Amino acid sequence: MTTTIDATTAPEDAAAPLPAAPTPPAKKRKLKWPGFGIVFAVGFLGSLTFLAIFADYLSFIPYPDAKIPGPDGRPGRYEWGPGTAAWFGTDGVSGDVFSKVIYGARTSLQVGIFATVFGILVGGFLGVIAGYFRGWVDRIVMIITDCLLALPALLLAIILVDRLSDLAEDASWLGWLSRKWTIVITLGILATAPLARIVRAQTLSLREREFVLAARSLGAKPGRVMFREILPNLIPAILTVGFTGLSILIAAEGALAFLGLGVEVGTPTWGKLIDENRNKIDEAWWATIFPCLMLFLTVLSFNIIGDRLSRRFDIRQAGV
Amino acid sequence: MSDLIQASSRDIDGPLLVLKDVTTHFKTPRGLVRAVDGVSFTLDRGKALGIVGESGSGKTILSRSIMGLLPPRGTVRGGSITFEGREIGNLGRKEMRSVWGKEMAMIFQDPMTSLNPVMKIGRQIAEPLQIHLGMTKQNAWATAERLLQDVRIPEAKRRLEQYPHEMSGGMRQRVMIAIALACGPTALFADEPTTALDVTVQAQILDLLGEQRRDRNMSLVLVTHDLGVVAGHTDEIAVMYGGKLVEKATTKGLFANMKMPYTEALLNSIPRLEDRSHTRLSAIAGRPPDLVNPPKGCRFAPRCPYAQPKCQNEEPPLVPTAEDPNHLYACWYPVGSPENTEIKVRIAASKSEFAAAAGGN
Amino acid sequence: MAGTGKAHLRDSPDVLLRIEDLVVEFPVGRTGLKVNAVSGISLDVLRGETLGLVGESGCGKSTTGRAIMQLPRPTSGSVVFEGSELTRLTGDEMREARTRMQMIFQDPISSLNPRRKVRQIVMEPLNIWKRGTDAERSQKVDSILEEVGIDPTRAAESQPHQFSGGQCQRISIARSLVLDPSLIICDEPVSALDVSVQAQVLNLLEDLKAEYGLTLIFIAHDLAVVKNISDRVAVMYLGKICEVAPSDVLYENPAHHYTSVLLNSIPVPDPEVAVTKTAIEGEPPSPVLPPPGCRFNPRCPAAQDICRTEEPQLRAVGDGHFVACHFPTVTPVELSTR
Ligand SMILES: Nc1ncnc2c1ncn2[C@@H]1O[C@H](COP(=O)(O)OP(=O)(O)OP(=O)(O)O)[C@@H](O)[C@H]1O
Ligand SMILES: Nc1ncnc2c1ncn2[C@@H]1O[C@H](COP(=O)(O)OP(=O)(O)O)[C@@H](O)[C@H]1O
Ligand code: SF4
Ligand code: SF4
Ligand SMILES: [Mg+2]
Ligand SMILES: [Mg+2]
Repeated sequence: MTTTIDATTAPEDAAAPLPAAPTPPAKKRKLKWPGFGIVFAVGFLGSLTFLAIFADYLSFIPYPDAKIPGPDGRPGRYEWGPGTAAWFGTDGVSGDVFSKVIYGARTSLQVGIFATVFGILVGGFLGVIAGYFRGWVDRIVMIITDCLLALPALLLAIILVDRLSDLAEDASWLGWLSRKWTIVITLGILATAPLARIVRAQTLSLREREFVLAARSLGAKPGRVMFREILPNLIPAILTVGFTGLSILIAAEGALAFLGLGVEVGTPTWGKLIDENRNKIDEAWWATIFPCLMLFLTVLSFNIIGDRLSRRFDIRQAGV
Repeated sequence: MSDLIQASSRDIDGPLLVLKDVTTHFKTPRGLVRAVDGVSFTLDRGKALGIVGESGSGKTILSRSIMGLLPPRGTVRGGSITFEGREIGNLGRKEMRSVWGKEMAMIFQDPMTSLNPVMKIGRQIAEPLQIHLGMTKQNAWATAERLLQDVRIPEAKRRLEQYPHEMSGGMRQRVMIAIALACGPTALFADEPTTALDVTVQAQILDLLGEQRRDRNMSLVLVTHDLGVVAGHTDEIAVMYGGKLVEKATTKGLFANMKMPYTEALLNSIPRLEDRSHTRLSAIAGRPPDLVNPPKGCRFAPRCPYAQPKCQNEEPPLVPTAEDPNHLYACWYPVGSPENTEIKVRIAASKSEFAAAAGGN
Repeated sequence: MAGTGKAHLRDSPDVLLRIEDLVVEFPVGRTGLKVNAVSGISLDVLRGETLGLVGESGCGKSTTGRAIMQLPRPTSGSVVFEGSELTRLTGDEMREARTRMQMIFQDPISSLNPRRKVRQIVMEPLNIWKRGTDAERSQKVDSILEEVGIDPTRAAESQPHQFSGGQCQRISIARSLVLDPSLIICDEPVSALDVSVQAQVLNLLEDLKAEYGLTLIFIAHDLAVVKNISDRVAVMYLGKICEVAPSDVLYENPAHHYTSVLLNSIPVPDPEVAVTKTAIEGEPPSPVLPPPGCRFNPRCPAAQDICRTEEPQLRAVGDGHFVACHFPTVTPVELSTR
């Protein structure tokens, strides 16, 4: 038995008589303050992205390998705290922390976003087919995800980075597989398992819904049912998990850098910055705290946006 | 907590529940939704009242207004609700907590979603007993078992250890009733308690509600869209349409002497067993009014076969019938009035003409 | 498996659908037990007829409907539709055959994809089967939407949740009609609706049936509703058929004890009659371990020893009236040869 339609859940229930059902009035777009959180999140990520992309052309951002002379006129270790000479202070090699944070954003954001996209595409696909076909397809996908989830993530990452790097060296056609892309793929694979799990669970419940049954009874082929009927209903879940995952992956890139599995030498990332400076946090807090703060704010912003998007996509909440 | 109720002056002789001009409006982007618009009635102790009307006529919101279970945001309330002589219309959630369970309890339409799926049935019944009545755990579980027996669940002891998904829809609704009865409420509100159930189980649940009401001398408010459901299980019936009360009478009086064309139309839309198959049902054309912009005069006028110009412009007041001062209705041309009879005759004539034409072909 | 008999099957060239010994079982987890959702039922439907299927929740009505559509395929038994044996069709042939029969579901809102526009939903079958040009498709969809009382312009820009339950059911009906099917299986299409909307939808179904020359299987738990729309009614209990009869006969002359129970449960909108009725006690037993003999025996007021051991077979008690009961309330007639 299913529920009965309650007017409380369908406020449109009480419209005018049927024969002359009025079309709803054209939506008036009134600008409304969308809330502090979302404005902050979009503003922060927007400016960060802007700065990261155009850093080369902005005169107030020094190059990351530029040496900032200390008070005595010569470069040294951690000579400036936050101030006018260097906004976020300088690090152990006289580099400008602000500049490194901005340039670090390039790599960190790219790695995070591409890895998430990889995870969504692969994990989402595996999840949908597993949930829809069940049977042996499901079993295979579940075995793969179980394996991925059973191994400690870090160990798995180390193995993957190592193997992929070897592969890239041996196979000439893998020339594009730089250290950055290796890390992207590694993190993407890590993100696949939880995404596949969640998408599978949702698909399992959606496939029993009557509109899916209706589509099948109309003669739709499995592909059509999966991608036209089921997939759009998975978007909220994928978005929520994707954005949360994105923030975890950006942080994970830092963790890999900790282990010396970072991107190429000379390319700053937040993880590497934190790793290089964390031992000196007593004397030069800024060199660790600012990259940490950026990481934190980025993760927070992605979470806020993800949350907002998933609410936006929730029909019940968006409709009213 | 319970001192609060004790302290308030209890009016033991008067009616249990008195509603005066109760309104509940919701602020929405589309405008003000007048879900309940000036409803007044009284309910006596131990009596069963049926609230009947189509979906969207404000039945649920009315019963939730009485229970104080409205969404807090954008709700505009008005009028007065007195329960046992005490004004409860303006109580906050905190104060209502002393009323819920012990004074008033509610069961909902959907037995599938109103129970917590991850909690054992026993705990769901026992916990409120421990909290509200301060029972010990053993006592509460023993009471829970007795309650399950009361609502006719076989093997009550074993069932206490089960989870909701292990039970059928009818069983779950029985559990809901047991939970509602746990703290011995004076009034029980049942909002479409059987709409999600099949007819056999519906009959069982309705019987159970009636039996518990008599045993506990409890008042029952039975909300439903089906006049058939209330016919055998209530003392009085209130018919709602478009947020308003349009007819109220004793159950016998209402069926014997229906005044409101809407009530009559609701009754006629029920398929009758004694009619031959393929008998055309007299459906009410159209849909209930938009409660943001309700019609100016009688709210039923756009769908009423007997509507006259007066109906479109002037709102009919709620007035008693000539025979029975307790039978109230709001209609300019009630069933049985000359205008109504005349139109009825005309409709019947055109129908038979149509039938003759169809038969002739 | 002891079938409940096939005495009621008709031998007419007009038979559109014929189900024989249909069995549907579902495994219970990994326990090795199974849910006996449908246990060997046989039915037939003539072209242009409406067959009603009534019974309590869980008795296998929906499962029967879905098994006819081969969604999922039944465990055993035969389903012959328009002369072809559906259980033997390959996946692609079956997809083709499904366009000739359609299904309408109980929950009007959940049977429409919440993320698509209503007009697209109704158009979908035509897109799947690439019928006609874009213009022809649009025209067909608009005319059917008009027919069921939905404004096509509003349908083009609204999603299902912007319509009421009754309107969603009309949309489902429109969708089921666009491919011009010959059979529509209506699985409790009015159970979730108000009485007033229920009457509108029932009338609409009757009109469309006449206009499109449809054959209907109408599933519901309320015998009054089923009687109104059906020519012939089959009463089901726990995966078996108890009684088959023309709808008026079933009401005037119920032969099975369970049919009387169903008749008695219907809420009568008359206070004088309503108070005299009493509901049957208890619930149907679990379909995992159905009782031996007559499946109704644990609740039957007339049960005797034979009912607990021997399964009753369907036999005639009147013209087109068949019952599976050892002690029916109507005396069986011996019809010589059928
Ligand atoms: N996929 C499934 N797996 C296991 N058991 C199932 C499945 N589908 C149905 N059943 C069981 O089969 C029996 C018949 O179910 P069915 O849905 O056909 O009942 P119904 O008569 O349509 O009931 P309702 O009135 O509630 O719709 C029930 O006991 C049900 O729990
Ligand atoms: N929270 C809410 N906000 C706005 N409108 C609401 C809300 N709850 C209910 N309504 C509207 O109030 C009217 C009455 O609803 P309800 O009491 O649930 O009807 P019924 O129970 O009679 O079917 C409906 O038009 C419904 O859409
Ligand atoms: S007042 Fe007029 S429109 Fe309203 S119910 Fe009476 S006759 Fe019909
Ligand atoms: S066969 Fe026996 S148990 Fe079954 S319905 Fe008939 S009398 Fe009752
Ligand atoms: Mg309601
Ligand atoms: Mg069903």
